[in-house]
Formats: sequence, structure tokens, C-alpha cells
Amino acid sequence: MAIASGGGHWVQMRRIMPAFEGSDVFYVSVDPSSAADVPGRTYYTIRDVSRRDRFGFAVLIGQLARILARERPDVVITTGSAPCLFALGMAKSLLRARTIWIDSIANAERLSASGAKAGHVADVWLTQWEHLARPGGPDYWGAVL
Amino acid sequence: MIFVTIGSMFPFDRLIRLMDDWAQAHPEAELLAQIGTGDYQPAHMPWVRKLDQAEFARTVAGARLVVAHAGMGSVITASQFGKRVVMLPRRREAGEHTTDHQIATANWLRGKPGVHIADTDADLGPRIAAALAAGAPEAPIFAAEAPGDFIARIRRCILGQS
Repeated sequence: MAIASGGGHWVQMRRIMPAFEGSDVFYVSVDPSSAADVPGRTYYTIRDVSRRDRFGFAVLIGQLARILARERPDVVITTGSAPCLFALGMAKSLLRARTIWIDSIANAERLSASGAKAGHVADVWLTQWEHLARPGGPDYWGAVL
Repeated sequence: MIFVTIGSMFPFDRLIRLMDDWAQAHPEAELLAQIGTGDYQPAHMPWVRKLDQAEFARTVAGARLVVAHAGMGSVITASQFGKRVVMLPRRREAGEHTTDHQIATANWLRGKPGVHIADTDADLGPRIAAALAAGAPEAPIFAAEAPGDFIARIRRCILGQS
């Protein structure tokens, strides 16, 4: 399962899609039109929520639960943001999925707020900036650009 | 057409207001602005609240220049279609974002071919003029694909090989 929020998060996900070749991948993002970027693949639209939107989060969690129950992914990878942190946490606790968080390259000086929390739910916790890597995580493996 | 975009998350009325003033001063210029949830409604340029991802890509593809906040979606999409981009970073103190990370992004992108950074409001007009005068970029801002070693490492990780 490859999941990303809209805008820059989705365009960064698009750049790592070659890594999924040969895998049975499906995609999740917030804009129905993004399905056109992944022809031939299953694509789910989830609600785009900010951290303050409690009702939105309830809807989102229901959507994620349905997607996870139906697809039962072995691996979940994301380029952020906050809604995807929930997806990682749910996939890890409910399905024991392996989880990968790639913090957005926009966060050049410190991790995003969600990215800082992602260390708790990500088996592989990555920053795209070498100077932000720390022993114990996040790790730096490179960047999408 | 000059495409003005503030991304898809928070409003950025400062950029929209500046570009509306710019449009008034340049009545011959064709513009389109994506203004998001901002309160300020432009009077001198056509605008939309939000294009979907597909329309956004089509609009960038058809643009002569992109004028944007310092967001990764804007600069990567501009690069994908071989366009120049003028960027005005959002500022946290003005309530334009939750952190000042766009200033860091702008400083990192500064000097890349095809990227024109406006550090101040007064800097925006001159940066647009320079970008228009420079014509089409010789090369995209970024390579078309992510670096192969990064892709390979993510791939090995997904397949459980590392």
C-alpha cells in the first residue's frame, strides 16, 4: 500500500513508483483525479484532513479501516502527511504490516510534526536530508530529487 | 498564460494580492490563479479555488510561467513540464504556514536553473520580469526520475531484502 496526502506529498510518491515495479501495489491519496497517475492499479480516495478536524479524522479512520481490511497490505509506504501517520499506525497494529515513512523533502531544517511522531509507528523511518539523520533514526537513504 | 498557485492546503492571500496588483499593472498578461481557501478574491485576473491534480498538471503544462508559494508540489510539477517557477515562501509569523520550512525550501532551491526566488514582496515583480525575459529553460529543474540508488534501496526494503 502506497499512501500520500495531496500536492507535494503525492508528487514525491510518484517519483518513487519505480521502486514498486513487480510488487502488487495499490495506491491511496486524497484526490480522485490522481487515479490517472496509476493506470491499471487499484486507487482509493481518502478524506483530506488537518490535525484539528476531529470529525474528519473519524471519517478518515473508518475509510482506512475498510481499505486495510479489504487489501491486507504486507507493506505500507508513505511520503506523508498526518493522515498517513494514522494509516501506518493502524496497518502496524492491526495487520502487523511493515511500515515505511519517508518524510517530505520540504522539511529541510527539521522533521515535520507528523514525521517526528512517525518514529513510533514506522519500521523504516527516513528523512530526505542527511543532516537530519540521527543514530536510532530517522535514517537517510537518499532523496526523491 | 502565467499560472499562480498557492498549493492545496492553507490560504496565502499575500501572494494572491500581490499578483492581482501585478495583473492590474500588466493588463496584456494572461493569468490564472489557484487561490485555495483565501479570503481575498482577485479583481484583475481569472481565478479558481482549487484545480484537481489532473487539471493542475494540465494547467502547468500549458503555462508560460508558474508563480507559486515555495511548495514541493509546485516546483516538482513545474520541473516535470519544463517550466520556470517564481517562488515566494510562506512565513509562519504572518500565519501563512505552521512553520518556516518554506523559507528553508526557498534557500535550498535558490540558484537552481529555472527557479527564481522572491525574498520580499517588492522582489516579486522583478523576479517575474527576469523569468519571463529568460525564456524557456534549457533543462528541467530536477532530473525526470528519483536517483536510481534511492529507488533500489526502497525496492529492496519493500521486498524484505534489507
